[in-house]
This record gives sequence, structure tokens and C-alpha cells, in this order.
Amino acid sequence: MISLMRAAFQDVMLLEAQEEDETVVYNHVPGSVQIEVEPVGRWFEAFLEEHPLLRTLDPKDWKNQDHYAVLGLVNMRYKATQRQIKSAHKAMVLKHHPDKRKAAGEQIVEGDNDYFSCITKAIETLSDPVKRRSFDSIDPTFENAVPQKGEGVKNFFQAFAPVFERNARWSSRKHVPSLGTAEASFEDVDHFYSFWYNFDSWREFSYLDEEEKEKAECRDERRWIEKQNRGSRAQRKKEEMVRMRNLVDTAYSCDPRIKRFKEEERSRKESERKAKADAKKKEQEDKDRAKQAELDAVRLLKEKEDEEAKLAAQLAKKEKEVQKKAIKKERGKLRTSCKSWNYFSDNEADNVKMMQEVEKLCDRLELISLQTLNEFLSSSSQQEAKGAVEKQVEEVNAQLQREREAEVQAQQAVRGAEQASRGGGATAKGWNEDDLQLLIKAVNLFPAGTNARWEVIANYMNLHSTSGLKRTAKDVINKAKNFQRLDPLQKDEVNKKAFEKFRKDHTSVPDTVDNAAPSERFEGSGDAVAWTSEQQKLLEQALKTFPVSTAERWDKISAAVPGRTKKDCMKRYKELVEMVKAKKAAQDQLGTKTKK
Amino acid sequence: MAAIGVHFGYTCACVAIFKDGRADVIANDAGDRVTPSVVAYRDTEQFVGIAAKQGRVRNATNTVVKVKQLLGRTAGDPETKAHIAESKCPVVCKGEKLYYDISAGEHNKLVTPDAVAKLVLEKMRETAQSALASDVTDAVITVPFEFTQAQKTALREAAEAAGFNVLRLIHEPSAALLAYNIGQEFPSGKSHVLVYKLGGTSLSVTALQVNGGMFRVLDTLTDHSVGGDSFTDALAQHLAAEFKRSYKQDVSCNTRAMMKLMNGADLAKHSLSSLNSANCFVDSLHDGIDFDCNISRARFEVLCSSLFNKSIQPIKALLETVGLSSGDINKVVLCGGSARIPRLQQLIREMFPDVEQLCSTPPDEVIALGAALQAGLLAGKEGPSPDDESVGVDACATDILVKELDESGAEVFNVLLPAGTPLPARRQHTLLGRGQLSSLCLELYQRVTQQPQKLARIVLRDLEPKEDNHDINTVLTMKRDGSLHVSCVDESSGRSEAITIAVAS
Repeated sequence: MISLMRAAFQDVMLLEAQEEDETVVYNHVPGSVQIEVEPVGRWFEAFLEEHPLLRTLDPKDWKNQDHYAVLGLVNMRYKATQRQIKSAHKAMVLKHHPDKRKAAGEQIVEGDNDYFSCITKAIETLSDPVKRRSFDSIDPTFENAVPQKGEGVKNFFQAFAPVFERNARWSSRKHVPSLGTAEASFEDVDHFYSFWYNFDSWREFSYLDEEEKEKAECRDERRWIEKQNRGSRAQRKKEEMVRMRNLVDTAYSCDPRIKRFKEEERSRKESERKAKADAKKKEQEDKDRAKQAELDAVRLLKEKEDEEAKLAAQLAKKEKEVQKKAIKKERGKLRTSCKSWNYFSDNEADNVKMMQEVEKLCDRLELISLQTLNEFLSSSSQQEAKGAVEKQVEEVNAQLQREREAEVQAQQAVRGAEQASRGGGATAKGWNEDDLQLLIKAVNLFPAGTNARWEVIANYMNLHSTSGLKRTAKDVINKAKNFQRLDPLQKDEVNKKAFEKFRKDHTSVPDTVDNAAPSERFEGSGDAVAWTSEQQKLLEQALKTFPVSTAERWDKISAAVPGRTKKDCMKRYKELVEMVKAKKAAQDQLGTKTKK
Repeated sequence: MAAIGVHFGYTCACVAIFKDGRADVIANDAGDRVTPSVVAYRDTEQFVGIAAKQGRVRNATNTVVKVKQLLGRTAGDPETKAHIAESKCPVVCKGEKLYYDISAGEHNKLVTPDAVAKLVLEKMRETAQSALASDVTDAVITVPFEFTQAQKTALREAAEAAGFNVLRLIHEPSAALLAYNIGQEFPSGKSHVLVYKLGGTSLSVTALQVNGGMFRVLDTLTDHSVGGDSFTDALAQHLAAEFKRSYKQDVSCNTRAMMKLMNGADLAKHSLSSLNSANCFVDSLHDGIDFDCNISRARFEVLCSSLFNKSIQPIKALLETVGLSSGDINKVVLCGGSARIPRLQQLIREMFPDVEQLCSTPPDEVIALGAALQAGLLAGKEGPSPDDESVGVDACATDILVKELDESGAEVFNVLLPAGTPLPARRQHTLLGRGQLSSLCLELYQRVTQQPQKLARIVLRDLEPKEDNHDINTVLTMKRDGSLHVSCVDESSGRSEAITIAVAS
């Protein structure tokens, strides 16, 4: 047909244009008509693949083109496999390659401005997984919108199911749970929300980078661009996450199933609590009842015991009464029998005495002996009776005597024991106040650690004691221990007493030095002004610095010790010397003793 | 991508496969490239094809032929009654549904036409898969153009039941055009094609317009009263007359004898397509008498002259209806087994003396081949293609013409963009201008009816006069809405001019 037409055209020529002719459009063409044809043959394929789109594309603006549409994969989009993309590209190249079109007689724009470069860019983007992912992420056909709450409440499943289905494509994980139905189990719903709350999206926004890293000329520029891009990507990613979060939040808040589960949970808890409270109440009641029962049992037991005791007491009382009565009766009998025999004498005085004796018998004798006596009296003659009574009286008297003696003995024993217990007492060994003071002084003088301390103390005591008693080391230890055992109050008292005594002593005899001084502190302080430790130290120092040979020694010493006269110092020195001497003497004595 | 094309005809079925870029017909297990669509039921078995056809003489009531005539039809259909009347196998109606009453075996059983069709298609699938991997099931199945939607649905269901994945049902004439690759390589032209199909039982003539590779059926005529069987029948009647003349025996009331005679006549008819004379020999035709007869092709043509006339007649009627003269037809495609008859081909050639007659491919296979080619086109695609029977396509409403002068100086109009071209369309022409002219004028016209209407004028000035003709490269682009853009470039000087003609609002 074509060749026929060509042949026909060979011998026809175009008209020559006239002078006044111009290029002009006279008329409109009628619009296209729709005709129904059978989709058979290759044309249809070509017809379907004819992309008017391709020719409208600007190759320079390739970034904004829909790569899938360019390759004719509009219906597949992100689901297209690499193989499909490859084959689609191949088909496009076969059809749209500039050489191919040139051969078909089309005029081709040279260079990169031909639309074929769009196809190249499309395959470049889609064949590289990283680039494809970044393009898929900003898929222009993807509906980002999220249903509003109002919408969701009205028709939850219709509103949200497609949205979740749509967004599932961003999931890095496979097997995205679907929204499910209103009858979904708690586990399913829980799994659904936990999945979507922890949604792991691969969506990223590097495709929207404003600067192209490849365009940079140097490393610094590249770095700067990268930094710029990173910021905007992060921002977009954040927005995307907010969007997802918002979607899931809205869904969660609208989900009628969640509401249902919450209600169920609440009612379940309520019933649980109720059951718990009931159980507790019951338990308490049981406990109370058990306690009550126990108490009752105890009370009953006690009552019973009381009853028994009462009964026993009554019985005992009765018996006692019976006995009492019997004894009374026996006594009466004895008295009457004795009286009947006129107390076995005619003598008034004897009578009275006998009467006393009989009364004594009556008091002392037991019921049985009384009975036997009475029987004996009733059965025997006067003499025999008299003998028996007297014998009884004697026995009773002897018994009384014995009792009295035992009492006395017991009293004596008690007294003796008291004395024995007070054996170590101050009074027993004659520890008077002075001695005590002396002991305290000695103990302080010879502190713990002194060689044969207690012997030294005993010697010291013996030397200085005014009582003249000789004391051994054992005594001293005992006393000292007793002292230590004494409570502080007693100690205070002792001290107080000692102080009073000391005052009495010193007011009467002011200058007694040799007397047992109550304490070192007051020792030798004749004029009420005691030597302070400071003064003592200074004095000792002065004594050392000024040896005996020094002229005007005491004057110098007293000058060195402020607040003390020469006389004071000398006196103090003498005291000290005496003290040292006494100490030495005591030690020497002990030394000789031990040597012996 | 391998795929299968099936032509399921009234009498015969044929299967072709598309593999490695070409389509081939596959011979069945009996070695025949065409399988009779006959199903025979026996006590324990059922079989399809030539064995069933040969056994029909003895088992006529349990052998289903021409199942396609009942497929997808209801009892109320007037055509159904005619088909039931001539069927040897009893047909019962239950409600709206039709069943073949098969008496083979212990019990009578009712078989639906769908089940019979399924058996035939299964046979075709097995045949195709003997040459392919067994997992190839993608198939395109052809249907007559006049098939109703119910019939198409029934056929599709039967094919799916037989294990096919039906890619699409296409019309038989379109498949025939595909097989001859009409309008596929250079889809820019416009032509008219006549498809003449004389099958075993029916005749159909279809006129198609091919434009931009697109097949558009203008009209079709179908005659179920003429077919290959009519010729065989005529021959068999003649043979019966011969037998009666020779042996004084009338066999026309002997059903089995007539069937034997038909088979013999069939073979003789086939031979006569290539030979000048054929021998018909039937063993023990009647009363133990063997029949032997020689028939010349001339005798056959004389016998069937009225049938030939009847077969040719619809062509004229069709051309009249579509308003085309025999000169408007650019190609004639012959298909159907009976299109092999030399006399018929001669008659058609006489009718279209200057027209290329396409019958190089065996006419009974051509439709299956076309189906296989279409299957190959569809199977290569991902995803299910739309299986609509037809699609709406935007097409150019009018012819776009250019006014030129012929050698004698008379004005002529040449078509630059024919009406009916699918849009968007793009046509390129090299128009010539006389070399000595310095300015040229393109006058564009459109032809709605007969009288062309002026559309636009494009003037190219300041061309350099030269010895040769000016080559004006003209590109017409029509968008989907019908608006036209025309650009002209003078090849030598590069001077260009372009206009856009808008759509009338």
C-alpha cells in the first residue's frame, strides 16, 4: 500500500504558491471519533505502549519524572521485579532509540535533549537498588494522608484498613499484620499495634536532596553538600515518623476493639477485686468464728475448773467443819472427862494448873490423839486417866520445849549467818574513814603496774595508818575491790565524808602534814591556795635549774614560780621530799620483805 | 515465550504453537495436522478425532459431530432446532439446556455440548503440549465473528475446563489476517481485505479495513447451508446414482451405505483438489457389492456448479453492503479446507482480477496459525491483558488530503492521513515540488463525504531553484483529541513551516 502510494506520488507535484498566498488555516478539523475494534495484532501492543508522555518530558528535568511511567510500568510500580524493569527498558530502547526512530524517518534532536535520555535516566534510577529505593520513597502516587479522628470513629475499618495496607510497603520487615476485622482476637490486635508502634521504615528522602553530591568540584564542597543534605533528610524522615506515629495513634484511639478490650479488662479487674474482697471477708469471718470458738472453749474449761475447784473447796470446807466439829467435840469430851474427874486433884491450885494443862492439850493434840485419849479416859479409871493425861501433858510440854529450842537455834543460826556475811565489812576489820582515805591515797600513789603493787600499798597503809591495825595485801585488795564495786553515789559519799573530815581535821589542826592527806590535790596546801600543776611544773624546773649549791637558791626559785613566795616554795619542796621519802621507804620495806 | 493457538471449527480443529518467534501447526498423534472435531462414546471409553469419525458409520447415535453448533446455545434458539434435526446423535432438551443422549454403556447418559467441546479441546491441548513443555497452557482460541456472547463464554469455559489458560478469544477473520502478517510490519497504510472462509459446514465472508495495523470488521456474511460437506454430499449423491445405474440398487435409504459413500466421496474430493481425476472405492457398499468409480475434476465441477455459484454469491452481497467495489479490495484471504478447491479459487480470482489472493498457507491451518501468533504476542506480556472483545480507540474522523497536480496539470487529491487511523498518529510523506519553482504551496483538505473541504494552506517561499525536484518532508501529527499539526521542511534548504489545526468546538 505504501509503495503504491509512493508510486502515485512520483508523478504528482505540489502547486506553485501565488504572490498573495500565505500560510493560513481555513477551517477546523472535526474531533476524533471512537471506533470499536478487536484488540488483535501488533498495533494494539504498540497502541498501549504509545506514551504521549514521553514526548512531553523535558530531559533536563528528569528528576521530577515518574520513572515507572517512563518505562511503562505504571501499574507495577514498586512491585516490579528487576527482571520486569530490565525487559521493559529493553522494549523501550528497541522502540525509542534515536537510531531506530531516525531509520523510521523521524527527526532527532541531537544530544541530551532527546527524550530518550529520560528512558536512560529511568533505567539508571530503577536498576540501582539504592537509587530505586530513594525514588520509591518519594513515589509521587503514594497517598501520604492519614485519616482524621472523626472519620475513623465513624467507620474505623473502612477508613484505616486501606491506609495501613498502603503504608505497609515501607516496612523493612516482611509479613506486615493487617488491620483485621472487628472480631479479631486480643493477641492479633496487640500484635498489630506493637508492630506498627515499632514500625521499621525503609523510607528515606535522599531523592529530594537539593544539592547533588556528584556536582561538587572538590572534597570540601562535597562535604558541605553532604552536610546540607543530611539535615534536610533527617528533617523529612522525622516528619515521616511523626506521620506514621500519628496514623497509629489515631487508629489506636479510634479502634473499637481496643475500647472493647479495655472495657473487658476493667470489668474483669472489677470482678477480680470483688472476688478478692469477698474472699478476704470470708476469711476474716472464718477467723473470727474460730477465735470465738476457741475463746468459748477456754471459758467453758475455766468455768468447769472453777466449778470443780469450788466443789472441792466446799468438800474440803465441809470436811474441815466436820473435823472441827469432831475436834471440838473431842475437846469438850476431854474437858468434861477431866472435869468429871475434877482434874485429877482436889487441890485448887493443881486444878487450875491441870485445867491449864488440859487446855494446852486441847489446843495442841491432834484429833486422833484426842480421840484415843478420850477413849482411854472413858474406858479407864481415874488414876489411869490421870496418868495418861499427865503423860500427854508431858509429851506436849516436851514438844513445846523442843519447838522453843529449835526456834532459838534458828534465830542464832540466822544471827550467825548475818555476822558471817558481814565478815569482810569495814567494821569487822576496823576500816575506818581514815583508813579508807589512806587506801584511796595509796592506790592512787602506786598506780597499776607498780611492782608488787598491793604489798607496797599494804606497807604504806601500815606505815601511815593511825588505827594501828596491820593489814595484808589480801585485805587491801578486797577492800579496793569492794570500793570499785561501790556505785558512784557511794563513792561520792565517801569522798564527801572524807572532805568533811579533812575540813574538820584541818580547821582544828591546820598544819598536820603527816596526817593521811585526803588527796594529792589538797595535799600540803596549808594556806588554802593549792599548788596548780602549772606552778608544780615550774617549781620542779626551777629546782633542777638552780642546784643546791646556788646562792640565794630559794629566792631564785620563788622568782621562777609566779604567785608563790619563797616560804611557799620551801614548804612545798619539803612536802615533796617527804612524799618521795615515804614512797621510797614503803618500796624498800617491800623489797626487804620480799628478800626475806 | 511459548503459547498455543487453537482453531476449534465445526468440523475440524487445528492447533498451532508459537515458539521461538514463529508459529507452527502441530500434527496430532495420528499424524494429521487437522483433527476432526468428532467425539465418539463407546461402552467404556470415549475418543476424539479421526478414529471417532471413522467409527461413526457403526456408532452414529453415540458420535457427536458439529458440537460447536450447539455450544452455548439454548433450546429456544431457532438455529438449535435445525441443528438438532440433522444431528444423528439424539439431543434432548431439559429446560433451557441441551444434552446429547448417549446410549453407550450400561446406562443412558446425558452429555452437555460443553463436555464434548472440552474433550476436543483437551485433545488439542495434548497435541500442542507434545511439542511444548507441559506447563504451557496460555492459549488464544478463535471464534466465528457471529458468535454471541453466550457462545463465547461457553467456549471459554470449555477451554478452561480442558486445561487452557485462555488469553483471549479472537475472531477467525482477524486470525487469518494475522497469519498473513497483514498490516503488521508497516502499520501506516490503509487497506481493505476480504476474508473468504469455506469450512466444512459453513461459509463466511468478511470484509475488513486494515488501518494502522488495526483490523476493523466492516461486515460479514455467514451461510450455514454451504460448506465442504455440501460438495461431498453432491458427490456422494452422484456416486449413489452411479451405483444405482451400475447395479440397479438404491442405496440412498441405506444410512450406513450412504455414510460409507460420503467417506469415499470425501477422499475423492480431497484428491480432486490436486489431481485431475480421482478414484472412489467402497468395499461392500450394499449387499456385499463393492463400489469402484472414477471421477474427473471437470465432472466434479459440473456437479457442483450451483454450489459454486452459491459460494460466490455472498461476496457480491457483502461488497454491496459495505459500499465497496471489487477494486477497493486490496487482498483476499482464503481459509477453510474447502477453499482449496481449484474451481473456487479461480472463481474468486475472476471476481478480483488485480488482487493478491492469499492461499499459500494451507487454508484449514491458517486460522490456527493466526491464533498462535496472537497468543505469542499476548504471552510475552506481563500481567493479564484486557480480555475485552473490543476496545474503543480514538480514530481520525476524516481523510486528510493534499491537493497536487498530476502530469497533465489536473488537480488531484492525495490522502496523507486516512480516516480511521488510530490516534495519536504520525505520518510522514515526502512531497515533491518542481525544481524550478521558488515557492511551493501545500493545500490541505479534509474529505467528510465526497467533496473535499479546504483546511489550510502552507506556503514555502524562497526556495532555491534547482534541476531536481524539491523534496518537501511533511509530517502530520494528530493528537488523540483529533487536532492536527503539520510541519513541512524543504530538505535541501532547510526552510520549514508548521501549522496547527484545532478541533472544532
